[in-house]
Amino acid sequence: MSRIFGIDLGTTNSLIAAIEDGAPRVIAVGGKRSALLPSVVAIAPDGAVTVGERAIEMEPHLTVERDGRVSAVGFAGGEQGAVIRSVKRYMGLGGDEVAPEDRARYTFADLSGPVVRFQIGRRVFTPPQISAEILRALKAGAERALSAAGKDEKVERVVITVPAYFNDGQRQATKDAGRLAGLEVVRLVNEPTAASLAYGLNKRATGNVAVFDFGGGTFDISILSIKEGIFEVLATNGDTHLGGDDIDRAIVNWLLAELPDTLKLDRHVWNSARMAAEDAKKRLSDVAATQVVVELPGHSIRKQLTRDALEQTAEPFIARTIKRCEMALADAKLTPAGIDAVVLVGGATRMPIVRQRVAKTFHREPLCSIDPEHIVALGAAVQASVLMGTQGDILLLDVVPLSLGIETMGGVMERLIHRNTTIPTSVAESFTTAVDNQTHVDIHVLQGERELANDCRSLARFKLGPIQPQPAGVPRIEVTFLIDANGILNVNARDERTGREHSVDVKPSYGLTDDEIERMLEEAIDLGEQDLEERLLISHRNDAEQILAALRKQLGEFGSLVDAGERARMDEVVERLEAARTGTDRELIAKLVEELNEVTTPFAERIMDAAIKAALEKKSVEELS
Amino acid sequence: MIECPSCGRRQEPLLTCADCGSPLAAPLDCFTALGLPRKPAIDPAALERRYHDLSRKVHPDRFAASPPRVRDASLRATATLTRSYRTLRDPVARGLYWLELNGEKLAENNKRVPPELAELVFEVQEQLAEMHDAAADPDAARGLAAQVARRRGQLQTTMDERLAELERNFLKWDQRPDERMLRLELKAILSKIAYLRTLIRDVDRALENSKAA
Repeated sequence: MSRIFGIDLGTTNSLIAAIEDGAPRVIAVGGKRSALLPSVVAIAPDGAVTVGERAIEMEPHLTVERDGRVSAVGFAGGEQGAVIRSVKRYMGLGGDEVAPEDRARYTFADLSGPVVRFQIGRRVFTPPQISAEILRALKAGAERALSAAGKDEKVERVVITVPAYFNDGQRQATKDAGRLAGLEVVRLVNEPTAASLAYGLNKRATGNVAVFDFGGGTFDISILSIKEGIFEVLATNGDTHLGGDDIDRAIVNWLLAELPDTLKLDRHVWNSARMAAEDAKKRLSDVAATQVVVELPGHSIRKQLTRDALEQTAEPFIARTIKRCEMALADAKLTPAGIDAVVLVGGATRMPIVRQRVAKTFHREPLCSIDPEHIVALGAAVQASVLMGTQGDILLLDVVPLSLGIETMGGVMERLIHRNTTIPTSVAESFTTAVDNQTHVDIHVLQGERELANDCRSLARFKLGPIQPQPAGVPRIEVTFLIDANGILNVNARDERTGREHSVDVKPSYGLTDDEIERMLEEAIDLGEQDLEERLLISHRNDAEQILAALRKQLGEFGSLVDAGERARMDEVVERLEAARTGTDRELIAKLVEELNEVTTPFAERIMDAAIKAALEKKSVEELS
Repeated sequence: MIECPSCGRRQEPLLTCADCGSPLAAPLDCFTALGLPRKPAIDPAALERRYHDLSRKVHPDRFAASPPRVRDASLRATATLTRSYRTLRDPVARGLYWLELNGEKLAENNKRVPPELAELVFEVQEQLAEMHDAAADPDAARGLAAQVARRRGQLQTTMDERLAELERNFLKWDQRPDERMLRLELKAILSKIAYLRTLIRDVDRALENSKAA
């Protein structure tokens, strides 16, 4: 049987590792023999996919040409192709859960469904499909590296790590990504737990360990007890939307504070600022102050960023991580004195302030003997070897991070499985009918810690039945909720009297259905012509809507920059597009969008210039030069 | 009787097959799952060791390459083992479970205050009400919070005494017991503990709120 590989599918970087000569090692799949593959996926208008360093080069940004002019390059999104980074933030999310500040980042085809859909080129992509591209690149990279080392080996079976605090939907989405990449996902492992394996394997450790995992987009804290090879998670806590990205964004907001909103939201400007912010943040781990520069057409933003200011910016985010640590300690029924070691994981833990705060919280210096950006992948490789039966004495006992329950009368969440319960675990609950001859019972499964069903996350709905018509309260159906070793829910039902198994048709509240995944796998081949037409039409309508809305806003703010003749030409195209947009001729809509783009380009350029000039004139901006 | 998914042997339900050691998907009581004699006095360290040893034998990580039937049995056996360990590890959960095994149940939402605790409960609730009313006056609220915090310590001491009483009750089941008496005693102890837990939770919540304010 083929070897199992360990994959860290990270927000910022992804890695693949395996056991070589008895020890876990990362495989160089990135550029310059690096093990880090940036989790960035570029998709050209024609559908060509690029992953990693080269995809970063295709991100929309501003660049200084040889003649000194600043021009906008890269895939701007939507029809023009797009570059998706931090796709992990969107895994398992419903369209309506995309944060408002994220909505300007990308062009979305639809934000009303149970899964986020990006519009790229002429196609629609879901987060699992984008993640699958990262997995494919890891697989190809690892196979290349192995073949260069003289091994003809395929990557087919993998362990993929996920944030410990990922909910059911986010885990399912990760499994879906594996499936779409043609991989068998043997197990999902929680990232901090994986890190503890890599840590404990070398040290032959015993005692209580806290793993502080602060990555690009997610934060986890896990507290484990390690005893004779048994790695038992006592408690875990976290936030799946809290990471180094948030600190970068805060710096971007500060950098662009003086620019008008339209310019702040411009993908080229925003992304250039993000790159500058990220670089500055990294530099400030070593130096006390640094100059941050963003080149805009005709002008530059230059601001001095000190480590003190960065730390103040980061403070609210760090405070949130510390609060989570305290909650995990309380759940583990431990005090800081009961912790024997603290292990740092994730790129964001390179910030000195983070290390100081962690040390203060746990009353001890954190360990970082293993590269915090490699440790999760290494641990995934260790777990892979456990699953292959080649790490005889090691066993991981992980927990479910969030309570699982069902909605009861009055919209109250009844907890069936408490958070931090060791998995796999199951609970059986008996259901009956409320009225005579009722043939179905509806069950709504929830995940979360709040009292009211509305405040918890909807996980799935299912219908029990058909039930033999009987007086109310007579039927007894036992439903077993089982959380497997991946932290994913399985449901089955049995008639208590007959012992007969009931079929349970579980409808996940978020994410892709099995059918959708099958369809994606076969997409290239049997996409119904009608279906395709329909989707193209919708995406063109969305484009039209977007450009019309943007133009309306710009005309409201900068109407004085347009002369009468130009305005008349714009209005004429707008009118035709407005009319076409309600029709079904998608070619016409596309043509008019293009036309409108053309007539408004000079206007857009003038807005950019004016905005920058206005920003420069502001007295409050002494840093600008 | 249950059939082993690995070797096919039919046998009494246990956590693992008596022949080949493969996990069995049988519904088990907590004691059988952990292979322990049916008695409520348990040494926590020995219980943990047993749980770890059995986990090594049945956990899905050990059967990743096995046929689906065996993998499924491993999943179910581990779920049973974990649930059993969780129940027996916590003395209160174990007490409630033992009571249930002996055909008794603690009344849910019992509003009747155990007489022995009546005075304490009354005083604590009075203090909590005072603290709630004084929320607008920070100085008074701080003073009251300090009083309530001292009371918290007293409640914990009472709780610790009840827990010790619980352990003593467990031990008595080892000797030739008057089961009816022991059952009643156990029930009384557990109902006091349940009451104290609620009270301590209320106090903690009030203290947390006053800290936040």
